[in-house]
Amino acid sequence: MKLPEQAIPLHTVGWTVAAMLVAALPHLAAMPTGLAVLIVAAAAWRLAAAHYGWRPPPRWLRILLTLGAVALVVFTLGALWGRRTAATLLCVMLAAKMFELFRIRDLRMVASVCFFLIATQFLFNERLFYLVYLATGAMVAVVALIQIQRYEDSTLTGRNTADPDHRSLIRQGAVMVMAALPVALTLFVLFPRLAQPLWGLPEQVMDGRTGLSDSMSPGSIANLFLDDSPAFRAEFDDQPPPPQHRYWRGPVLWHFDGNTWRQSQFASRQPAIPVPADSDTIRYSIQLEPHEQRWLFVLDYPVNAPAEAHISLDYQVVDQRPVTSLKQYEMVSNPDFIDMPELHESLQRQALSLPPERNPRTLDRAQELRERYPDDRELIMAVLRWFNEEEFYYSLETTPTGRHGTDEFLFDLRVGYCEHYASAFAILMRAAGIPTRVVTGYQGGFWQPNGQYLLVRQSDAHAWTEVWLEGSGWTRVDPTSAVAPERIEQGSRSAVGHSRHMLDTEWLRTLRNRYDRFQHLWNRWILGFDAERQQRFLERLGMPDTRPGTIAVIMVVAMAMVIAAITLVVLGRSWRHRDPLLRAWHRLERRLHRTGVRRTGGETPLELLKHAAGIMPDQAAELERLAEHFGKARYGPDPAGHAELFIEHSKAFKPVSPNEPGALNSV
Amino acid sequence: MSESAPRRPARPEQLAADLARARAAVNEVIVDKPEVVDLAFSALLAGGHLLIEDLPGVGKTTLAQALSLAVGGNWQRIQFTSDMLPADIVGVSVFRRDDESFEFRPGPVFANVVLADEINRATPRTQSALLEAMAEGQVTVDGQTHPLPRPFFVIATQNPLDLTGTYPLPDSQLDRFLLRTRIGYPSAAEERRLLVEPDRRSLLESMQPVLDPERVGELIDAATGLHVAEPVLDYIQALIAASRAHAAVQAGLSPRASLALIQCARAHALVRQQDFCLPDNVKQVFPALAAHRLQPLAESGMSGDDIVADILANTPVP
Repeated sequence: MKLPEQAIPLHTVGWTVAAMLVAALPHLAAMPTGLAVLIVAAAAWRLAAAHYGWRPPPRWLRILLTLGAVALVVFTLGALWGRRTAATLLCVMLAAKMFELFRIRDLRMVASVCFFLIATQFLFNERLFYLVYLATGAMVAVVALIQIQRYEDSTLTGRNTADPDHRSLIRQGAVMVMAALPVALTLFVLFPRLAQPLWGLPEQVMDGRTGLSDSMSPGSIANLFLDDSPAFRAEFDDQPPPPQHRYWRGPVLWHFDGNTWRQSQFASRQPAIPVPADSDTIRYSIQLEPHEQRWLFVLDYPVNAPAEAHISLDYQVVDQRPVTSLKQYEMVSNPDFIDMPELHESLQRQALSLPPERNPRTLDRAQELRERYPDDRELIMAVLRWFNEEEFYYSLETTPTGRHGTDEFLFDLRVGYCEHYASAFAILMRAAGIPTRVVTGYQGGFWQPNGQYLLVRQSDAHAWTEVWLEGSGWTRVDPTSAVAPERIEQGSRSAVGHSRHMLDTEWLRTLRNRYDRFQHLWNRWILGFDAERQQRFLERLGMPDTRPGTIAVIMVVAMAMVIAAITLVVLGRSWRHRDPLLRAWHRLERRLHRTGVRRTGGETPLELLKHAAGIMPDQAAELERLAEHFGKARYGPDPAGHAELFIEHSKAFKPVSPNEPGALNSV
Repeated sequence: MSESAPRRPARPEQLAADLARARAAVNEVIVDKPEVVDLAFSALLAGGHLLIEDLPGVGKTTLAQALSLAVGGNWQRIQFTSDMLPADIVGVSVFRRDDESFEFRPGPVFANVVLADEINRATPRTQSALLEAMAEGQVTVDGQTHPLPRPFFVIATQNPLDLTGTYPLPDSQLDRFLLRTRIGYPSAAEERRLLVEPDRRSLLESMQPVLDPERVGELIDAATGLHVAEPVLDYIQALIAASRAHAAVQAGLSPRASLALIQCARAHALVRQQDFCLPDNVKQVFPALAAHRLQPLAESGMSGDDIVADILANTPVP
């Protein structure tokens, strides 16, 4: 027969429920709101049940609730089965578990699953911010486990189960998390890295944000202006180039259909003409935030391509796979390279094509200019002057345009963002017979003086043009610089002038820049520690063989050593006694503990031995003798002799656990 | 035997044997409560006073009587009532007509052992007369100070339940008593013995005093000189510190209480025939010593006994 169990008090249940909620927090934010509300409600029910002493619901209702919850998940998310659905299902099952969270065993299970739930979040996102979540979540789950253990101990030893000392709980939890850090560090350094993780890469890294796309239409770059999240960070071997030279090349667009600019299949497939490295090359490394596209942003003109990437004819650097986790690459660029001194005919055709029957006024203006300025360079200067001297405005507040968008922009509205200027300029050039293409990417960036790196944000997205000129090949012309030179020299924010939204204050921007330095370090040292870096690191430590198998063996050995070291430190308290008497005493205590005789908090040594004698009546006489010697040796006025006797006897003493059902539990 | 060597100090073994016999004699009368008897002897040998608090009929008075008898010397019993005056306890000055002077007639408090039965029935004024005598070891009547005999040991009893018409001792006066203890019900087997065997009170009549005041004085001296090792001192300090840090306590134990604790632990060791003090002695006297001195915060819902149990359970023994 089973005894009815005592209801577990609120403080113990509370910590477990708190651990579940903290672990589920980012998942709750990502799942449909209805499900999240249900999960929180289940947790609230459990807390109320602990407070008011409610009984668990009947078994059939629990089964019904669980099946209903699973059906709900499948119904709301079923179509896209994947990591998100699986994580949501896990959260929902934990919430269903709330209704049978009435035994210590269940509490312990929920608190343990929390660790797994926390780990799953890193399948979705690896940003620094989640380190806080990881630390908090692990901490609360550890505290919950400690409290469960303390509660169980107190019920077993019959001590009062009154309110626990929460400060001491948290302190013990912190100590345990700290003690785990060396183990985590060892695993981090030595766990064999695979080129591709087994479980795939984080998905939906952009959290609904867009980033730069492979085409450009009016408004597509202006939309990015509101997005302050980092696009990439760059570190330079020497000084960074001045702001007006920080053009980070992304997709190169050739085809214009009247509204949208697109890439050229031909130019992006053909391999590039190799760029020689000379004395003026810039060496830098980039940590690219995941953007779910394949471009790697580089300065003009890339000399090398990172492994698994290639350079196209129009000098886009394209990776094999979409970038869905932080990507690091080293680059060398030669800004003085002349791109295509000779323009191939088919490329020239592409670079001059215009959609028919569009923008007649623009075409007329181009003809006019062509007649006035037969020289290409003079014509370009004239257009830039026109942009600069007449009432053209650089602004986000643009008006949607119709079929002849460029006509409306150039002659009526005259308000636009960089993509409007780049597009209008390219159409003018093509109409005037000058081969032109549009380049999108990022321009500028914020130099972090303390971190010594350049932070480029999504809001730095930019579009400019390249014209092909006799003698100098493809040449960059940025019409935006004629309209709003401060955009190029001081960044996009200074060009627009007013703050973009409520939270766009100077103070917050500074804070964000500070935070980004930590994010940078995190990216560089934690996320960036990939298979290659691990290998280099181990080689520097003097390990010649760095195959995954060898690393795994080293890892196991190192783990054993680290755990042994931690154990030594923890046990050090009892080993620190130089006193042989106390050492012998602790050895005896451990032996008794193994046979199930545990010393409770306030038990004196002699009480413990008496307690042991009660359990092992066969050895009572021996235990009594031990007690007598220990008492005299430790507390008596004349310990000489007794200490030796105690050590000798305690060494010879072998506790035999009696064959009682009560003692079997502890074996 | 004790009468045979009244004037010269007895040898330690002799003293210990006498103490053991006294203890055995009291244990003969009070069945199944060796811990309580040991505590009572500890209070005596630590030079303090004892308060026994329990329900009627569990043997408070019998214990006090047995103790007084075993200790020997002269003893007095005062049955406290609500119409008692201080003079009924300390004594009065009487005008003697023949030589026209005042003569002091000592009250019942002038005895080696005073049994103050049901102390909470008397008015606070009368209570404080006794408590003053306990604290000072002397009595002042009409400006004249009269020293009390040595040793002076008060055993007071108090019934915690029957509260109508009583004046329970205030907390500040409770700590005049070194130890406060309860007796509790006897076990089933012992109760059976009680039922079938002759009345315990009749044993009192045949009881011979084992000790005498000088012996008690020597035993008190012996207790004071008992060895207390460093770990035991650590333990005492840890307990006192825990009482001060406990969340449910208004004020922790005072230094006077810690002095009392070490003295009681020594006395307890002596009663237990040890020649040094163990942490076990400290642990066993601690509840009786501390429970009535610790005032729990009302909102904590804990009693002094709960707090003491909590402190003992959570203080590791070095």
